[in-house]
Amino acid sequence: MFAQLARRAARPAATAAAAARRQFADAAPAAGLMKLNFNLPQETLYDSVNVKSVIVPGATGEYEVTADHVPIVAEMKAGMLTINHEDGEEEKYFVAGGFSLTHEGSATDIVCPEAVKLDDIDGAAVTKNFEAAKAKAASAEAGSIEAAEAMIEVETNRSMGNALGMAMA
Amino acid sequence: MTVPTTFWRLAGVSYVQYVTKASSTLRAALKEPAKSKALAQETFSYNKSVWSNGEQGAKKLTDSLAAVGK
Repeated sequence: MFAQLARRAARPAATAAAAARRQFADAAPAAGLMKLNFNLPQETLYDSVNVKSVIVPGATGEYEVTADHVPIVAEMKAGMLTINHEDGEEEKYFVAGGFSLTHEGSATDIVCPEAVKLDDIDGAAVTKNFEAAKAKAASAEAGSIEAAEAMIEVETNRSMGNALGMAMA
Repeated sequence: MTVPTTFWRLAGVSYVQYVTKASSTLRAALKEPAKSKALAQETFSYNKSVWSNGEQGAKKLTDSLAAVGK
């Protein structure tokens, strides 16, 4: 009788222990750090690297992801992405667009078609292309694909100019 | 008040086309040597081969799709 009771009591405890056992997760990063995966189609910049935080240029607003962030998926706009590394170093990239996915446990995947360092952007070329794109947008038929493409060029060049610290009208 | 869609979507441009265009714009404003390395991402070419009697003919490099049908 007592043995039956003991067995019945042990069952929920056993299932609780099974649930507490991690299923298929990687080792969690040290407290205060989060895992970053930063991928381009042509290159992997960071693969499962522990960082302190990432500042993402979301299309609806810039936000910073740290450890224990709520899961969030955001489209990125052309702008600066900042990675705060474990050792305190800050690394900036200019991204053309793409997506940032933050999962449960703050592992973040950044995927974008192109990401460059600010030093690689040529300010004179940005200004030249910006003016050319503005002229194209003004002369194109309103609402046409050519006008939209010219506007995309204008916006991207404007973001690049702003990132370099130039005032873009 | 946020607009429910974007100017490019309204003009008939898809997201992939939009982000590809933004990336091209970014690559066009780079300094050498990063520029040549990045522009290599954009280059593409086609191989044309004519099939006859179920056999594929020799492949030939073509620079434009427009010339393929001729």
